[in-house]
Amino acid sequence: MGSTCATYARPDGESSGLRKLTRREFISRTGAALAAYPAVAFGQSHGAEPSARVVVARDDALTKGVVSEHRGVLRGLLDAGMQRLAATSDPRTAWRKFFQPTNRIGIKVNTLGLSTQPAVVDAIVAGLRSADVRAENIIIWDRFDVELLNAGFRLNKSTGGSRCFGTDADAIGSGYQREIESSGQIGSCFSRIVAEQVDTLICVPVLKDHNLAGVSLGMKNFFGAIHNPNKYHASNCDPFVADVVSHRFIAPKWRLTVCDGTRAQYHAGPGRHPGFAWHFCGLIVGSDFVATDAVAAALLESKRAEAGLRSLAEEGRPPRHIATAGARGLGIARMDRIEVIEV
Amino acid sequence: MDCRHNFFNEPTRRDILRWGMVCGAAGALGSLRLAPAAGQDVAGTGTLPGPHLNGINRHDAMHWEPTSDQRLRCTLCPRECEVADVERGYCGVRENRDGKYQTLVYGALCSANLDPIEKKPLFHYLPGTAAFSIATAGCNIECKFCQNWQISQFRPEQLENSTIVTPERLIEVCKARRAQTIAYTYSEPVVFYEYMHDTAALARGAGIGSVMISNGYIQEKPLRQLCRQLTGVKIDLKAFTEKFYRDTCAGELKPVLATLETLKGIGIWFELVILIIPTLNDSADEIKQMCRWVVRQLGPNVPMHFTRFHPTYRMMNLPRTPVSTIERAREIALEEGVHYAYVGNVRMHPGENTYCHQCRHELISRIGFNVRANVIADGKCPNCGAEIPGIWSQQAAFARPVAPSVTGADTSDR
Repeated sequence: MGSTCATYARPDGESSGLRKLTRREFISRTGAALAAYPAVAFGQSHGAEPSARVVVARDDALTKGVVSEHRGVLRGLLDAGMQRLAATSDPRTAWRKFFQPTNRIGIKVNTLGLSTQPAVVDAIVAGLRSADVRAENIIIWDRFDVELLNAGFRLNKSTGGSRCFGTDADAIGSGYQREIESSGQIGSCFSRIVAEQVDTLICVPVLKDHNLAGVSLGMKNFFGAIHNPNKYHASNCDPFVADVVSHRFIAPKWRLTVCDGTRAQYHAGPGRHPGFAWHFCGLIVGSDFVATDAVAAALLESKRAEAGLRSLAEEGRPPRHIATAGARGLGIARMDRIEVIEV
Repeated sequence: MDCRHNFFNEPTRRDILRWGMVCGAAGALGSLRLAPAAGQDVAGTGTLPGPHLNGINRHDAMHWEPTSDQRLRCTLCPRECEVADVERGYCGVRENRDGKYQTLVYGALCSANLDPIEKKPLFHYLPGTAAFSIATAGCNIECKFCQNWQISQFRPEQLENSTIVTPERLIEVCKARRAQTIAYTYSEPVVFYEYMHDTAALARGAGIGSVMISNGYIQEKPLRQLCRQLTGVKIDLKAFTEKFYRDTCAGELKPVLATLETLKGIGIWFELVILIIPTLNDSADEIKQMCRWVVRQLGPNVPMHFTRFHPTYRMMNLPRTPVSTIERAREIALEEGVHYAYVGNVRMHPGENTYCHQCRHELISRIGFNVRANVIADGKCPNCGAEIPGIWSQQAAFARPVAPSVTGADTSDR
């Protein structure tokens, strides 16, 4: 843990032909990419110039083998990220700053196409447990049981331990609400898990490309909380993504984003496409969900440029929903207002 | 009550007892099941226990083309969704799996009822007969006033108790029920195109007609291919402005007008329904423009049904349409030269009846969806002898010319 050497996969394979960058190169490249990402594209700041902090935690040990072999590394990266977010040297104190033992926490993963790694979620659960959150108060969820299973998650619909099931599950509190909820332009039934079962949300998206929204990160991940996401993919999913996360079931509950970049994809998402796989080998951690998405989007753009691909804007799919969310005051979208900390 | 199981499943002892009671009650009350709930077109959905996910049934889709990186473009409807691997189109029922498009609703029926054909409404198509009416989940637009949103705006796996019914099985049921027609209806049949196409082809061979009750949001090539099997069509013309289609339906007017012109060219029987909503599409000028276009482009013999809006779904903030507004719309249509204009969703209104366009003699008297009297003889007015446009016999339904294919177009079924 602690190394910041970046490793990149060739477009023709997941891990072959890796080229290591030095710490100086990585910081230089990422910093330049983040700075170069058009600040004005991510909305406007008003008044007292609020700021946000996002931690990018990487370790090239994650390059080797499969992610589940590196549970210790992941836990270390995550704790380090939480400590930097909370500005404390004690991991437990850091987790306690964001989560209380009485919280009922929903961990929204992404299992459509390239999926959230279960080992990353295990590290999050361990962190929550260190903050005395009861395992029974944790639900790991997505849309479908079958997609959770295919992604390697172990379903648990019992009342013992942290639970894991899809909105489609035959379980207490599953299914969609019957009534339509309106938010901006959307009209949707929300998953009962997010609407009724939890009071706190952790979003664990994958660092990946999306053919219409530009990127599929934290905010886009909550399309998996509504029954009709297919209706809201026009105009690069904008303003629909911001409409969904603006809803009272999402934004007020959303405490933390842990973007899983252990195995990322910088093009042809959201389906898995080995030709564009990227061992980013890290996590992007933030409590401001807009800022966390903005940083992750900038990293994807940087990687696309490095691979010789056109920018998302040039491909007609800029991640405009990030700017929209920023403009609505849901978080900080302007890169010049975001403090990016690398560990 | 969801009646689907009684059509397609083997009855249990409990079913037999329950249905015995229901049928007894129906017999006592007369034509019990012909009356719909107010503002609710589809029987059965009102008692669905809310969205619940079940499972997915996959079948090769028609009308799409591959693009790049396992992406594809759907060419079934004007939306032309670009769909990446593992994603679905706007309709929510067609999915890209490894670069190939699949329909998830082939035979996945969520509603099935024996309805009067007048409920569709088709007033000039075998009046007084029953249509076996079916639906799956999904729609390719989203009307904020949708009466059937509990099925049209959901994905197939979200509907409880969907039943897979093969085209062959459906034909058997229709024969047993002595239904002369299958109506593809309630949600939007364009999105279950493959099933509708295959079933209609089979039904035609069995002497059973097929009518599509649709929003008309479909491309010309699949429409022409489908019309070779259909015997009638009803199109919802939602309004006559692009603004209404865009803001209220997430769709477009222009492709719907193109569909109507294509239907006219094909020669298949079709009727129009216009739901009049206060403040949104009820201006006299808009209705006048619409009627002029219909008479000019489609001819005066296409029936127009002006129906009354009831608050529902995402449009609960508007009142019911005043009956006087519906009456005025009908008057405008008649003034503009439409031969057959009707009032809909207004019980016991004389505008429900059919009058000869030439001598105004009453030809068909209706109460709601029930035909009280029909004096049309051999397709003609008994008073003046005028030929009344419509399909008046099953033989006539199959007698029309087969629709030609698009010139030079690929007619493969993919």
